[in-house]
Parts: sequence; structure tokens; C-alpha cells
Amino acid sequence: MNMLKGTSILLPKPAESKQVSAYFVFYLVTSMQIGVGILGFERYISKAAGNDAWISIIISGLSIHVLLWVIYQILETGQNDIFGIQKHLFGKWIGGFFNFFLILYLTVFGIIVLRSFVEVIQVWMFPDLRTWYLSMIILVLVYLAVFGGFRVIVGLTLLGVIYGLPLLLLKFFPLQQSHFYYLEPIMNHSISDLYQGSKIMTLNYLGFETLFFYYPFIKDAQKSQKWAHLGMLFTIAIYLFTGLVSFVYFSKEQLAHTIWPTLSLWQTVDLPFIQRFEYFGLAIWLFVILPDLCMYVWAASRGIKELFHLKQKKGVLLVLIIIFAASLFLTDRQKIDMATTILNKTGFYVIYFYIPFIYIYQLIHKKVRKKG
Amino acid sequence: MNWFRKKHNPSSGKEDLSLKELLNICKESRDFIFFSQGDVFTVSYYKSMVDTTTVNRDILPVLTRNTSLSLDELKKVLPVESIEVTGNVTDIQNKLLNGNILVQQPNSDRCMLIPATSKEKRQITIPENEYTVLGPKECFVESLETNLNLLRKRLPIPELYVKEIIVGKLTKTKVVVVFIKGIANEDIVNTVINRISNIDIDQVIDTTYITQMIEDNNSSVFPQLIETERPDRVAGVLSEGKIAVLCDGSPSAITGPTTLVEFFSAFEDYFLTWHVASFFRLIRLLAVTFSVMSTPLYVAVLTFHYEMIPEDLLYTLISSRSGIPFPPILEAIILELTIELLREAGSRLPSKVGQTIGIVGGIVIGTAAVDAGLTSNVLLIVVALAALASFTTPVYKMSNTIRLLRFPFLISAQLLGVMGISICFAFILIHLLKLKSLGSPYIGPVYPLRLKDLKDALFRLPFSQQTVRPFTVLSEKPVRFNPRHNAAKQTDKDIDE
Repeated sequence: MNMLKGTSILLPKPAESKQVSAYFVFYLVTSMQIGVGILGFERYISKAAGNDAWISIIISGLSIHVLLWVIYQILETGQNDIFGIQKHLFGKWIGGFFNFFLILYLTVFGIIVLRSFVEVIQVWMFPDLRTWYLSMIILVLVYLAVFGGFRVIVGLTLLGVIYGLPLLLLKFFPLQQSHFYYLEPIMNHSISDLYQGSKIMTLNYLGFETLFFYYPFIKDAQKSQKWAHLGMLFTIAIYLFTGLVSFVYFSKEQLAHTIWPTLSLWQTVDLPFIQRFEYFGLAIWLFVILPDLCMYVWAASRGIKELFHLKQKKGVLLVLIIIFAASLFLTDRQKIDMATTILNKTGFYVIYFYIPFIYIYQLIHKKVRKKG
Repeated sequence: MNWFRKKHNPSSGKEDLSLKELLNICKESRDFIFFSQGDVFTVSYYKSMVDTTTVNRDILPVLTRNTSLSLDELKKVLPVESIEVTGNVTDIQNKLLNGNILVQQPNSDRCMLIPATSKEKRQITIPENEYTVLGPKECFVESLETNLNLLRKRLPIPELYVKEIIVGKLTKTKVVVVFIKGIANEDIVNTVINRISNIDIDQVIDTTYITQMIEDNNSSVFPQLIETERPDRVAGVLSEGKIAVLCDGSPSAITGPTTLVEFFSAFEDYFLTWHVASFFRLIRLLAVTFSVMSTPLYVAVLTFHYEMIPEDLLYTLISSRSGIPFPPILEAIILELTIELLREAGSRLPSKVGQTIGIVGGIVIGTAAVDAGLTSNVLLIVVALAALASFTTPVYKMSNTIRLLRFPFLISAQLLGVMGISICFAFILIHLLKLKSLGSPYIGPVYPLRLKDLKDALFRLPFSQQTVRPFTVLSEKPVRFNPRHNAAKQTDKDIDE
């Protein structure tokens, strides 16, 4: 298929050897949703919903389940990735504009993940560490992984989940000194408080929408829906567990002053041969954020390939350079916070308004076509 | 690498040589025998290549007795198998150099080649590098025929195919690809045969040459094919559906496709009960992790994160490190290099001397270095343990890789502490994810995740569970045997029945 001649505007379906089995969607969904956010989400939702914040975790998680279902409806009807579907639905120019927006969205996601991870490292481990130094090393890792193709990224995802899970066991230490009465009285917050909490919580679940981009790379993709929902359930379980441990360990006042509760909780780990476990935890956390970063870069570069007919190898380099440059501009806490807030708001609109919009538009489009 | 794989021009002009010219070239060599029996026939051969007993006892007497017979009639009289009568000079040259006797009659343009190759070979000995307490104690030798005999003895089935390919312009080494047809994957077999036939090199001394040229990525530090000296191991992997390559003059066989975990499985694991074998495998994996990570962790913690050390341990460390003039990284690199030095010196020296040098050198240098205040004794313990741990790897090539891996980890630990170790590990992981062994993923069964293949990976489950062949070999016949046949014997009896 020759892209330049414009014989087809869609990318060819990937070869079977490049695809992965349906059950990997479980790991992909979970892994994409867990990044730097989980280290410090408790403070924000507790500000909104107090001791009932854990209900918000469940509510917003359930709403994501609905969105997952919508995403699968869109993808199964479109039988392509979102770039192809948008081009098909809205035509070359408007579809192209939407695609460009998505590429931007993914790139900004990459920037935020990278920069906030580097920030955590700078705050907790190396106060004198230059941003460009660690950013560059991590981006070289991403470069190597993305050049290995989608299967390598999925491999990293799987290993990221395997490495990250044992860290949950460490919650055992803070649980020994927990105060379960911090959760009481249950349901003493208003519905609007819970809604506020859920709205904030949604932002931590962002990342599942990458399904839009890797869908053609799943073997028997229709069968993968149950895995996606299972992955989502698993994510909810992890967030709920993490959140609950923080809520019973810290009082509401303490939590308001703790930026990264998970890291603070790792400090309570008391083993005879090691203290300050958060250093280890952060080192392992690299494997949790690496697949996220790779996925954003991979998806963005694939979008560039489709939109500008640029070789994906060049697209990857372009995205990496943009991420690197942008991460240098986010020099302090305020700027990072501002960028995160903007991204979160955009993400909120993307998943709650834009995804249903495409779904409805696609339905109408189909009906109009049938009549025509 | 491309320069090995380039196709060379097969016509090298040797066909133009006449028989007379060939013999003239041969006569230049001291060990070439050329004599005429009257004017009836001439006999010529390389003395160094033939078995003189056969020549003097079986061949020459027959020739002298039957001077009147033609070559074709002589062929029937001679008590030797596969005699050839030919006029093809290339054929004659090859046979002559392989220890055949050339008989010419003055009135015929054809000549007779009688095989009388001397089979010089070493006795089959006990495997030294892959010694096991239990199990067979045979080991490959340098003769290809003997090695194939050792294999065929263990797999007496006609489906055991042996494909021969000649590699090496000067050495003309016989390389054979061995596989069980119907079990081994055809595509992988063809890949191996293609890769071997495409090798363009002047000499092949050992199977390791072949390994380096047919590996999927020969710039990787990780070996992608296993070399073994145990015929039982080769027979074992052949029946799993893998492929073996042997070469004449080499006491080891290459087996593949393989996975990373296979490098940490000793063949003895199959001779022990499964609990013990699984325990040993886990110990080995722990040992490897310890061996690679311990010194870098020491450097990382002492350079950046001394807060990580618990108070009680801190006193021990401080007292052992007080007065040491070097930073931890220098201290660690010096000690690691010393260990490498001892190991290398020990392996170059004759075994008896080597052991002595190793032990004495290790103890004397170690104690003296601590006494002189050059290194801390804690680090000495860590480094020595790490060295010991690296010896647990059953495959020699992998233990070399582990020796090497420690240094990039040390350097990255110095740069970014535990984060550096993590980053270095990520680099290796990405490399491993991309790596393939004869086209199969290298870190299977972990990724792609094959839960069934884990039966013989980190653990070795009992044979009753090993009913299917590993997925990585993509076998044509995935099922090995039916466990029900075995289970039928153990009927479900109640207590005291």
C-alpha cells in the first residue's frame, strides 16, 4: 500500500506476528492507568470527599467501565484504530484535525508522566539532579523500547505489573498502625461532595483510552473486552486498597499535608536490613511508568505516521524530542501542577464528552449510510 | 554479520586440474606415498590419513595377488566396502585427502578409490564442564561419527535426521544438523540449515564458530544457543523438538531454540526429584541476582543512600570502612577486578596449580588488602560471595555473561544510585525483550506468557506434568505422551484396601 500516492488513507492492519493475544489487554489497561498519579491521589480526593473518598474511587471506576464499553462499541464498528475511525467519520480535514489533537494529547501525557516522575525523584532522592539528565536517560530507554515495536511495549507492560504488584504487600506495615475509625461515620458527605471526589478520581484512571490506539494490534480483539473490564476492576481494586490504607493511616489533616502518601507509607517499612524503603520503591516504580511512557510515544508516533505519512521511526524521534524539550520548560512545582491540571481537565472532557460524541456520531453515520 | 553471509563464487577453478597435476602437487608433501607395483598399477595415498594396518593386511595383498584383473573386477574382490571407481578429479582429490587409497592402472583413465581412513580419536570420557553426580557419564569427543553414535544410541528411530553441510574453505569441516522429523519445527530446521549453508568463512575449528555465526543477534552479550558436551542433554532437547548442530572435530553440540531460563537449568535437574530440582533452580536464580546486584547495591547505598542502612548495620559498616582511602566505587572496582584476575589466572593455569594459586592468592591478597586498609572486609565478603554465586550457573557461556554484566551495573550505581541500577536493569530488560533465539522469543515463557511452559522454567514439575513440549520450539507434535496411560496403573484405592 503506497501512502504517498494516497491510494488509501488508512494504515494497513498489522501482521499477525506483530499482534498480541487478547488477554494482554488486562495488563495494558491496568498498567496504563497506574502511573505517577497513584503515588499522590489520596490528598486530592480526601479534600473533596473526606473520609468517604473511597466511595468516589468506586463510583468513578464504575463510570469508566461504561466508557470502556462505549470504546469497544466504537472500535468494533470502526474496525480500526481511532485515527482511522475519525478519518472515516469526519473526512480528511476535520478528521485530520481531531487526529492532530489526539497526537498532541498523547504527547502532553508523555510529558507529564516523565516530568512528574523526574520531579518525584528530585524531591525524594536527588535534590541536585538536573531534569535533563534523568529525562534524557529515560527517553533513551523509551526510544529503545518503542523501536522494538508494540510487542516489546506489551512485554514491558506485563513485567511492569509483575514488578509493581509486590509493592502492594508493603502496605502491611502501615496497616499495623492504622486507625479504622478514621473512616467513620460512613456516608456523612453529600452527593455533590462525592461527585467532586469522583470527578477528581477519574483523572487517575486516565490512560485506559490508549485502547483506541492499540486495538488493531490485539488478536481476536472482540474477545478482549472482558479482559479490559477485568483489568479495569483490578485497577479499581488497587486504587481502593491504596486509598483505604492511606485513609486509615493518615488523619484528614495529615493527608492534606502529605503530597505523596504512598511514598510516606513506604517509610514505615521496617525490615532488619533496610530502611527508607521508598528509595527502592521509586527505583522499581521506573518499571511502572516506563510502559506508560512507551505507549504514549508509540501511539503518538503512529498517529503522526497516519496523518503526515512520516516514517514511524522519525515520528518517534520527533515525539521524544518534543517531550524532552517540554520537560525542560516545566522547571518548578507550580508549572508542573498547572500543566497537570490543564491535562486533567482536557482528559476529563475527552473521556466524558468526546468519546460519547464519537459513539453517537458513529451510530447516526451508520444509520444514514444504511438509508443511503 | 554480513561479511560472513556473502555468497561466494563456487567455481574456484579446481576442476581444471588434471589428475597428473594433482598428483604432482601431492607429491610435494612428505607424507604422500606413491609407488608402482611393476607396471601393472600405481598406488598412492597420504600415509598420515590412512590406517596402515588395513592397507598392509587387507588391501595390498589382494592387489599383488590379482595383477591381471581390471579395476571393476578388483572392486568385487577387495574385502572393503564402498569402493569407488571414477575419473572425476575433484572427487579423487576429496577422497584422497580424506584417507582413501588411489589405485591407477596405466591403460585406464579411471581410477579406484579404496577407503582406509584411520580413525584417530580420544576415548569417551566423563563430562568435566557439565559434571553430574547422577545420570550418564558419557561426553562428546572430537570425532563426529562417535558423537552421532552416542546420539543415535539414545534415539534409535529412523526419524532422527542428520543433515550434513560442509563449511570452511580451508578446513572443509563437516557440520551436521540433527533433528527429529515430525517433532522439530520445519521452519526452524530450514532456518538453521540456511544460516549454516550461507556461512562464508575459511576455517571452522569448533562448534562455537558456528554458534557465533548463526546466532540471531551476535552483538548481544547474552548467548542465544546452548553449547553442551553431554549427549544425554542433546538427546533430551531433541525429543523436546529442538535442533542440535554438531561439527567434526568439536566435542560440543549446539542446541536451540532456547530461552533465558534454560541457561539456568542444569541437566541434573531432571535426575533429581522435582522438589529438589525446583529448589536448586530457585537457588540458582537467586544466586545470579545476588551475583549481579550485590556490589552495585553496596556502591549505590554507600555513595548516595546511607540513610537506607539500619542503625545497627551502619556501625559495622562504618567501622569496616573507616580509614579506607577510596570512594566505594573505586574500592568495588578494584576488588571486582582482583577477583576476575584470580579467576582468569586460575583458568589459564594447569588445573592443579590453578587451584592453589586461586585459593592462596585469594586468601592472601584478600586478607592483606583488608589489613592494609585498602578495602573494607564487608565488601570483600560481598564480592567473594558474588563470585561464588556466579559459579552456580550451569552453562559456561552464561556465567561469563554474568561476570560481564556486573560492570555496567557498577557504573550506573555510581551515577544514579539505586535509580541507576534500575535504569541499567531496564536497558537489559528491553534488550532481552527484543532478543530471539532462532526466531523464538528469548525470555519466554515469561513473555509471551505461557503458563504451561512454566512447568519446566523456574520450577521443574514432575514428569507426569511434562506432557506437552515447550511452546517456544513450535513443535509439529506438541503432545509428548498421554499421562492417562501412567495414571491408569494407580487405581483409586481407599485406605487399607
